Amino acid sequence: MIVITVLFTASCKKGDVYKTLIITGQSEHNWKASSPVLKQILEETGMFTVEIMTTPEKGGDMSSFNPDFSKYKLVVLDYSGDLWQEKTRTDFVGYVRSGGGVVVYHGASISFPDWKEYNEITGLGGWNGRNEKDGPYVYYSRNELVVDASAGPAGGHGERHDFEVRTRVTDHPVTKGLPVRWMHGSDELYQNLRGPAVNMTVLATAYADTAFDGTGRDEPMLMVISYGNGRVFHTAMGHADEGGGPAMQCTGFLVTLQRGAEWAATGNVTQKVPFDFPTAAGVVLRPGFAEITLDDAFENLKSYDIPKSTRYFTYIQSQIRDASGNTEKLLEIEKLMTDFIKAGDASKEAKKLILRELSWMGTDYSIPGIKALETDPDLKDDVDYALKRLQSSN
Amino acid sequence: MSRKTSRRDFLRRSAAAAAGVFVIPEIIPSSVLGMNGTLPPSDRLVMGAIGTGSQGMSNMRDFLRLKDAVRFVALCDVDSKRLSDAKEVVDKANKDTGCRTYKDFREFLEKETLDAVSIALPDHWHGIIYTEAVNKKLHVYGEKPICRTIRDGQTIVAAVKKNNIIWQTGSWQRSLPNFRRGAELAINGRAGKINYIEVGLPDGGRGIGTPPVQDVPPELNWEMWLGPAPKVPFRGVVHWNWRWILDYSGGQMTDWAGHHIDIANWGAGLEHTGPVEISGTGVYPAEGIYNVPVEYDFLCKYSNGIQMRVANSSKLKLGMGTTWYGDKGWIHTDRGNRLSASDPKILEEVIGENEIHLYNSENHWQNFVDCAKSGKQTIAPIEVAYRAISVGLLGEIAMTTCETIHWDPDKEEITGNPRAGRLLSRPYRAPWTLPTV
Repeated sequence: MIVITVLFTASCKKGDVYKTLIITGQSEHNWKASSPVLKQILEETGMFTVEIMTTPEKGGDMSSFNPDFSKYKLVVLDYSGDLWQEKTRTDFVGYVRSGGGVVVYHGASISFPDWKEYNEITGLGGWNGRNEKDGPYVYYSRNELVVDASAGPAGGHGERHDFEVRTRVTDHPVTKGLPVRWMHGSDELYQNLRGPAVNMTVLATAYADTAFDGTGRDEPMLMVISYGNGRVFHTAMGHADEGGGPAMQCTGFLVTLQRGAEWAATGNVTQKVPFDFPTAAGVVLRPGFAEITLDDAFENLKSYDIPKSTRYFTYIQSQIRDASGNTEKLLEIEKLMTDFIKAGDASKEAKKLILRELSWMGTDYSIPGIKALETDPDLKDDVDYALKRLQSSN
Repeated sequence: MSRKTSRRDFLRRSAAAAAGVFVIPEIIPSSVLGMNGTLPPSDRLVMGAIGTGSQGMSNMRDFLRLKDAVRFVALCDVDSKRLSDAKEVVDKANKDTGCRTYKDFREFLEKETLDAVSIALPDHWHGIIYTEAVNKKLHVYGEKPICRTIRDGQTIVAAVKKNNIIWQTGSWQRSLPNFRRGAELAINGRAGKINYIEVGLPDGGRGIGTPPVQDVPPELNWEMWLGPAPKVPFRGVVHWNWRWILDYSGGQMTDWAGHHIDIANWGAGLEHTGPVEISGTGVYPAEGIYNVPVEYDFLCKYSNGIQMRVANSSKLKLGMGTTWYGDKGWIHTDRGNRLSASDPKILEEVIGENEIHLYNSENHWQNFVDCAKSGKQTIAPIEVAYRAISVGLLGEIAMTTCETIHWDPDKEEITGNPRAGRLLSRPYRAPWTLPTV
């Protein structure tokens, strides 16, 4: 009758690597900042090998831009500028029709207002004279999808700010297991997008607050479009600063990009939702774009003290949850935790956190290590807590 | 009913007072003077309150709004500012200045001779203070959720039974007509045989990051506020916002379990039992001092085949509230006097004389006063409150362990999972212990 969302699905199979092409070189945006970050985000998954191809500069000779799309499983569009030559356009449409994957990133929805097929592939676009002739506005209102053919210009955004994203479809591979509400790092909130919107599903929206010159509507942020046999993932988010900035460092942006890319390339998502996917509680940034490992977490946790971030500890908690039912894996983590509380260079506040976790998930293995801390007056209460609970039904 | 606040106790206290140990209560509880310890219905209930925060004061105002029903004579709080503000309210109502104040509940319970006490505290204090108050044979109006752990709850239930006092849980939705009507329609099969229930509770809120250690405000006894919870330095999170930290609360999910899960149980005949299998997932913030799940979704299976899904409301089509699904339709109820059904005709149905008529209370606080006087069962007794919150607490354990939990609702034990079993209780920080019953 109902499906309980399983948050932590199996991680990706080793060995599946998808050749990916990022197209950039012209844009109203800082494509020199965004395209290497897109490449890094995708390559962090271990699933994509990414090549960046830049077009000639604006006004240049576009006849030299003639990629062989058929070599790629995925094409990422970080481009808005001069129209491609006809052969390139035909090849691109043919690539998508025959099952190629596409990611439309942020400002790419500005490009090519008069290229019909491109707009069908991106689903929604804005600016460049787009209006009611190009298709309806699409947004959510009162939790219902609205397709609004009223007249008016397309595209726009207010002042950059942190905003909350609402996951609207929870059973699509891209969004399955994601929080329903999550905070996104400061970004341009695109609004009033309009386009053909054919075979398009809005996966997530964000409320364009009038306080930030927004429309007062829940505007589409993540979309999927099917075009022929091709799959398109369109993210309206991720406005780039040098080094990415908060919009691209946002775990919500980068994880949905990784998931959307895998889905566009394969039709499935095998990546699990990471522990640091943001929630309604607040924005979570990954300045280095890489997910942390268990060894990193224990190493970094050593220097935990109030009021530093607790994220290395919550990572360890998430790994314990992931290991549920797997006695061996749990014991492996317990051993790391026991080594941690013995370590001379780990802070007492950090040891307290680990002792609390051991109190329920530990076994006989950790008891001697815990007992060894009994003589430390700063840890006495926490040792008592852990031992009482561990020995209550051990 | 038997009331154990004996004349002997009263005389002992009076003697102590006469010796100058403490002030003579100028209002003598009527229970002390009535025949056989019973309370003449015409008299006001002499009450105290432990916890004078937002919920405690809200309850007090609801009691004071009743005509000539209660008289508050003593208050207790670890925040002296809140305590003096509350005294002002009580003195104004009493038209005198005699309301006594305490900073330590032990002194309050030792010195005061009362009929009843209204208690509204952070959840981590419930186990100790509810049990101690009940052991003093006071009637208790106690806030939901009635416990932070299942073991705390079992102790409170046992204490209430043993001491034979009147208990009302602050699950006031039961005294509103839409909830009662919805539950009555459901339990009488107006949506058919109930096989599935959805309970929508609030989403979690914004976090505040990881604030630094701060000076404790002079009016607050932080050590006493923490009590049995682990000792932690003060970081500015105390009143109200304790509900975002797992040491003191399970978040919105446990906070609201005592409302919509309670109503769900009422309409499905599950008030005196619990699920046998619980599984689900929570979404936890990646960082910050607020560490309760901000989203949650778990499924409870009952031995009679009913399944109950509890989730943050954004995940559910009908959002907040309780929906009973039967083989003929559904019935939904929520705050704001909401009551709807798959077929509006269901809502017109008359409940026949020989069908189930649920307890009718039109005012939750009056119901407590009436029952304290008459000795009758309240609309929200302790066992029922315990069964409602134990659904939430078992869901919390399933989400913490990420495992399917098997629960024996009769023996009240988790079976086959010692790790999960440890989460049924929490060690108390010395010198605090869970009182014996």
